[in-house]
Amino acid sequence: MQTPVFIDDLPDISTVASRKSDHYRQTRNRALAEMLLDDAVSWHERACPACGQSRDLSRNFSQALMPFQRCSACNTIYAARVPDQSHLDGQRLRLLDELPPETADKPKRPREFEYISILNWIRLTEARSGHSLGKVLDYRFSSQAPSWPDAVTRLGTHRDWSFLPLAADGETGFDDLRDRLQAETPDAVLLYGEMDRVADPAALLRVVRANLPRGSLVFIATSCADGLEYEILGADSPSFVPLDRLNIFSVEGFSQMVRELGYTALEVSTPGRLDAVILQHYFTEIENADVPFWSGFFRSANKDRLRDLQILLQRSLRSGVMRFVLET
Amino acid sequence: MGQIRHEAMNRHGGFDVVCACDTHANFDADIPLVTDPTRVYDYDPDVVFCCVPNRMIPDVVCDALERGKHVFSEKPPGRNSDDVRRMQAVEARHPDLVLKFGFNHRFHDAIEDAKRMLDAGTMGDLYFMRGVYGKAGGANYAQNWRNDPSQSGGGILIDQGIHMLDLFLMFADHFSDVQSVVQRKFWTDVPVEDNAFALMKNDAGVVASLHSSATQWQHKFTLELYARGGFISVNGILSASGTYGTEVLNVALNRLDQDGNPIPNPESQEVRYTEDHSWDKEIAEFHAAIAEGQPVRCGTSQQALDVMTLVERIYAADADWPGQIAATATAG
Ligand SMILES: [Zn+2]
Repeated sequence: MQTPVFIDDLPDISTVASRKSDHYRQTRNRALAEMLLDDAVSWHERACPACGQSRDLSRNFSQALMPFQRCSACNTIYAARVPDQSHLDGQRLRLLDELPPETADKPKRPREFEYISILNWIRLTEARSGHSLGKVLDYRFSSQAPSWPDAVTRLGTHRDWSFLPLAADGETGFDDLRDRLQAETPDAVLLYGEMDRVADPAALLRVVRANLPRGSLVFIATSCADGLEYEILGADSPSFVPLDRLNIFSVEGFSQMVRELGYTALEVSTPGRLDAVILQHYFTEIENADVPFWSGFFRSANKDRLRDLQILLQRSLRSGVMRFVLET
Repeated sequence: MGQIRHEAMNRHGGFDVVCACDTHANFDADIPLVTDPTRVYDYDPDVVFCCVPNRMIPDVVCDALERGKHVFSEKPPGRNSDDVRRMQAVEARHPDLVLKFGFNHRFHDAIEDAKRMLDAGTMGDLYFMRGVYGKAGGANYAQNWRNDPSQSGGGILIDQGIHMLDLFLMFADHFSDVQSVVQRKFWTDVPVEDNAFALMKNDAGVVASLHSSATQWQHKFTLELYARGGFISVNGILSASGTYGTEVLNVALNRLDQDGNPIPNPESQEVRYTEDHSWDKEIAEFHAAIAEGQPVRCGTSQQALDVMTLVERIYAADADWPGQIAATATAG
């Protein structure tokens, strides 16, 4: 297994500050509260979605809105109760209509570098691993990032992409994904930002594996509970929006889960890039926040130190976002 | 080197080592040890590993082939291209035997990954390569057989730089133009170079620049490959001594602006390799060639000839170099 480190310029602090607006957070928290009060939504209590450790053995992560736990065996952070997938999808569609996630972006800079990073990631992994990925299916990232399919057309090379957006027709579970995999048999599937949003991540990965030939690849990007941002700030982390983060896997927990599902992990990395900047922003904004060592470190760190730290975190698989490449 | 090969054979499991020939009195192995090279044939081996100074390589290799043995030989393959041709002539008379030379850098994981990414077309056309391979000349530099041209054929270039040249040839096939500067800087009374610089070009216009140095002081291996679509660099190389660092590959694909021009400093991927599999892969290829008739991909006598010819051309391309050596000989 390879552990590539994605190295790039540190983002500017203003990108972090405006990344998730208060409005975005409030809208999602209100939607979650509505679901909690909605009798039609069925809720499911669960153990650690990664390793199965009982909730009784886990630690409390957050009690705001609803309980989130941190697994004491694998470090995964998870909502202790999750709604059924169809209500979750319905609510997510309504929110996307109401507040497209990209409206906060400056229109001239629609996540272009992020898209290039995804496409280059696939190209380099394809070459190193000796796979030929002629057809790739994107599952739902096109709903989260409407400019993504256009970017793929502009930037993607020698590859057929198809996009399966979030379904509006009331289909339940992952039937649409199953049907599409069977009809298209892609060489690879991209699950970008989905693992943290679905009620039953293992079920999603089971559907993917059951409907692809052996030797297919799955590219996954998801939040990482081992990231310094979550370790220091916990539920105060600006990246923690409960409805978007029902599962924040640890590297160990996610590795264990995919192994048990029959996948082979070819690559794991934590290309978060934002931990150091987020933490500096937090400690400079909130003057009375005091964490031994770290508050002083971040208040005095210049851009060079932040970059050194960020690369160290990524090399140590301790940044707040992770990427996996799995082989079915 | 013999012990490194022995350990790799043990790990492979397909070899039964019956005898070793060495001059070391403290040689530690559970096998018979002889000091007279011809005595190894008393044990009727199928395969001979030749880990001797450059001058002795052609004799040992040719003798083993004539006796019907498969041969694995360390690099450099003798002292010059004539030595290689001599071995090739004997090899040609024994087409059923395998002859392989130990250019093990091609088997390093970072190098293999770099090759895969270029071969897949992901990086686009190769533009140029830069290689630096250097060390501190070491203790007993003047007394070491490696720095006695009658024993070795040359200095740091033929001893260490040859690995980089072998990699260059793997990526660029053949160089039609060769320019060089060959120098002695620190060990000015030893009749071999302690630095060699070469600038080469192949027919497709791929440029390669080499610096091979015994006055690098800090052990260093760097190979950079720049292509139309991005770049790959390999820094450090896992070695038996462990002094060239971890092997780290950096690869980046360009991101283009709206006019199609690359934006500076693209996102790169850093991949670290911490286990040296090169010895094992090299032994496995040799075994497969003998036992299964698989072709030898790395370390063929033709590759050996190509790289030795290139070494000679680099020495010859600096018109001042023979004069410097002659001056030492006269003074000595
Ligand atoms: Zn767990």
